[in-house]
Amino acid sequence: MSFWKRKKNKNRSNKGSIGVPHQFLEKHKNEQITGNLEDTLAIIQKLLGASDDMVTRRFHVFKEYAAALVYCSSLVDHTLINMDVMKPLMSTPPKGGHWNENRLKEVIKDETLYHSDLRLEIDLAKIVHAIHCGETIIFIEGIKDAFVVGTRKIEKRAIDQPGTEQVIRGPREGFIEQIGTNLSLLRYRLQTADFRIKMMEVGRVTKSKVAICYIEGIANPKLVEEVKDRIGAIDMDVVLDVGYIEQFIEDNHLSPFPQIQNTERPDKTVAQLVEGRVAILADGSPFALIVPTVFHQFYQTPEDYAQRFLVASAIRIIRLISLFFSLITSSLYVAIISFNPELIPTQFAVAVAGGRAGVPFPAVVEVFVMEVSMEILREATVRLPQQVGGALSIVGVLVIGQAAVSAGFVSPITVVVIALTTIGSFATPAYNAAIALRLLRFPIIILAGIFGLYGVMVGIILIINHMLSLRSYGVPYMSPIVPGNYQGMKDIVIRAPLWWMKKRPASLHTANRERLGDDVMQKLKQPPSNTLDPVDVGNRKEDSPDGDTT
Amino acid sequence: METPREITVLQAAIILISTIIGVGVLALPRIAVLSGDTGAPLVTLLGILLAFFGLVMITLLGMRFPNQSLIRYSEVILGKPMARFGSIVIIAFFAVLTALASREFGEVVITSVLRRTPLEITVIVMLLLAAITTRNDITTFAYIHHFYSPIILAPVILIVILSLKNAEVIRLLPIWGNEPNGMFIGVLTVAALFQGFFILTMIIPSMRRPDRAMTASIWGMTIAGGLYLIIVIASLAVFGAEEVKLLLWPTLELAKTTSLPANILERLDAAFLAVWVTAVFTTLFSSYFLMIHATTELFQLRNHRMFSLFFLPFVFIIAMVPDNVLQMYELIEIVGRFGLLITVVYPTILWVVALIRKKRGKNHATRTNR
Repeated sequence: MSFWKRKKNKNRSNKGSIGVPHQFLEKHKNEQITGNLEDTLAIIQKLLGASDDMVTRRFHVFKEYAAALVYCSSLVDHTLINMDVMKPLMSTPPKGGHWNENRLKEVIKDETLYHSDLRLEIDLAKIVHAIHCGETIIFIEGIKDAFVVGTRKIEKRAIDQPGTEQVIRGPREGFIEQIGTNLSLLRYRLQTADFRIKMMEVGRVTKSKVAICYIEGIANPKLVEEVKDRIGAIDMDVVLDVGYIEQFIEDNHLSPFPQIQNTERPDKTVAQLVEGRVAILADGSPFALIVPTVFHQFYQTPEDYAQRFLVASAIRIIRLISLFFSLITSSLYVAIISFNPELIPTQFAVAVAGGRAGVPFPAVVEVFVMEVSMEILREATVRLPQQVGGALSIVGVLVIGQAAVSAGFVSPITVVVIALTTIGSFATPAYNAAIALRLLRFPIIILAGIFGLYGVMVGIILIINHMLSLRSYGVPYMSPIVPGNYQGMKDIVIRAPLWWMKKRPASLHTANRERLGDDVMQKLKQPPSNTLDPVDVGNRKEDSPDGDTT
Repeated sequence: METPREITVLQAAIILISTIIGVGVLALPRIAVLSGDTGAPLVTLLGILLAFFGLVMITLLGMRFPNQSLIRYSEVILGKPMARFGSIVIIAFFAVLTALASREFGEVVITSVLRRTPLEITVIVMLLLAAITTRNDITTFAYIHHFYSPIILAPVILIVILSLKNAEVIRLLPIWGNEPNGMFIGVLTVAALFQGFFILTMIIPSMRRPDRAMTASIWGMTIAGGLYLIIVIASLAVFGAEEVKLLLWPTLELAKTTSLPANILERLDAAFLAVWVTAVFTTLFSSYFLMIHATTELFQLRNHRMFSLFFLPFVFIIAMVPDNVLQMYELIEIVGRFGLLITVVYPTILWVVALIRKKRGKNHATRTNR
């Protein structure tokens, strides 16, 4: 009480200005509102009046008690306010009579307002925060608490196919920006009581909601604690995407390799949760982070598990080869051409020499220039509107391919090599891992130009040593290859049949490791009962059915 | 100081294998044949047995003191002043060994692949690679060895198999050799090529089950020794004794004579050498690691990282001491044979003294496997 009087006097002397509302609220964290409607509205007006989308609507509850509605018009559902809030409050009460303050509160809370999301709030800071979350506040003369009604409505786009992770076979849903929708996408795939969501708030200014999702009884509790600790330690003004969080909670901040996976796909997220990992979602970001992540996850797709295992394994091997291509083809080419041409079979060596005859530069310069221009082309295409994209790809193909060769600027084989590395890098499903490897090939090309094959090896050894020293939340980055784990190996180069992979990854130290029931194998081994075998069905001569064309 | 106990028996065996197999393989057949003529496989076998004896001593000591490395328990056994002197000799010896290995590989590279590159550059690149990588902890050390082990084993086996078509058994006879008088020195020199096994003393304190270290050393020595043996046999069977004596690096020549089916690559030697960089790297990495960890333990420091670059100039200068390849090989043989005093005789003395004085490390409670 005394605070408001003091404040009012002070404000009056300041001609009503309150400075930065956030700083004011920080200073007066635990202040509460009073039952005085006019005072409360005055302070709210001073705090928020500078924004023109703040609406204060005065009215009378049950036609006799003075009240006011405060909300932020850009965040709320007006129909909902009209129908579920204003209408019951402004109509005549069921029983007449004059109530005291406590009774009035009860009547409004328990009998009148039939909106489900309703709570009472008394702290000024929380009320102001609620307004900015899209909730509607009702102040009533004489009642010390404010009613907070959840009326948030924010425009959102429809659930769409994930742009970066398309599949041929598998669910088509992708995350969108709203965290609520994203969580519902997860929830409906995980209809279990063990699925836990912990909400946190990150970002001093943006106050973004961050959700930590895991499955109780599978995820290691220490891992969940560690994730919470690391996110809790973030103190930054703005969190616009989950990528901001990623950079704070990864283990090695200087490494080119991503140590945290991000995905747009709810089905992939759920698969990882069930393996015992933890997912992190942030409001405003259509990506989920998955920790811990090891390297082999970056060349796997959710589709691998939906396809038949032979096909999936073959495709995965193709992906590994393309990974290899994208990293070292160009540097191997440089090394062999410049230092060890004796490795090339004779007939081919003649062709190579012929192609390079008119090229003025050493192979390393040639490859380097071409690789850089390829990267430029890629970067240009990424952000181009589709209408222009076609023109650019024609220019790219003609100039970088045909014209450069005709002009004697590069040899045809160089173009082939560049094409291989570029296509190879696009075959890697995870963009962040692919781009890391794509950039790492530049230092290797330079090493190849200086030291030949020796340099290529030194470069690769440096990269692999670095990868072997990485950890993601304590999980070795190259596991389960190193340190070896037989169960885990079934999902590395090949994708073993689902019934072979009985255990969750050992490196995650999950509380419960069994994925399959005990008798699954027995049931699989039983001979199939051929229900429709002609012999069993009987060789009865049947009447020709309708529509029989024979 | 409690070290993380993460290294498995398999990893320990792999560390031994990839540490032992190094640049020495390239010259090994020549060394063996020069001293034993056609008795080279026998010389190699005896050398392996001698090295294995040293390894057994190290392993027994390690199992007796499962929480400490040789640097620490030698102080318990011999007393501080003598043990410290011994440790300093060990560190100096491995500095020389690292230097000579990098120099030897540098010579190989500038002779056969990068003919116009200065020797200093190839040596310093290799040393830098090892020095930078030693900044990691011992778990990563084990991972790195583990990861490269197939890349080290595969090319050697491939070349041996591919060279079989040129091999003739008659060139291996007589098994005793034509002039077996130089054999003893030859056995010592061959045994000296196995000195990388000393790394085991640094591994045992980090092993999950130090009591099973013997399994690791038997496997490690069998595979590494077996590989050395078949290389010697293969070179001898392909070239014959008199020819091998003339070749500086018979194993590299072996790679030159072979070719892949279907003419995928015209020649294999450059590719072999490229892959061989990993084998040399792991060897250098181990001896460098041993050197800086021994120093860290000698001064009882917590962090080994500061030493990794500190030693680099010294090792580099030692590497540059020999004037040419011939002098380098003379030095390698002398240093190697002297090194046996450190890697075989010194552990034996320690073990005998430990037995006599009944010294024993605190028993390591075997941790139950998760």
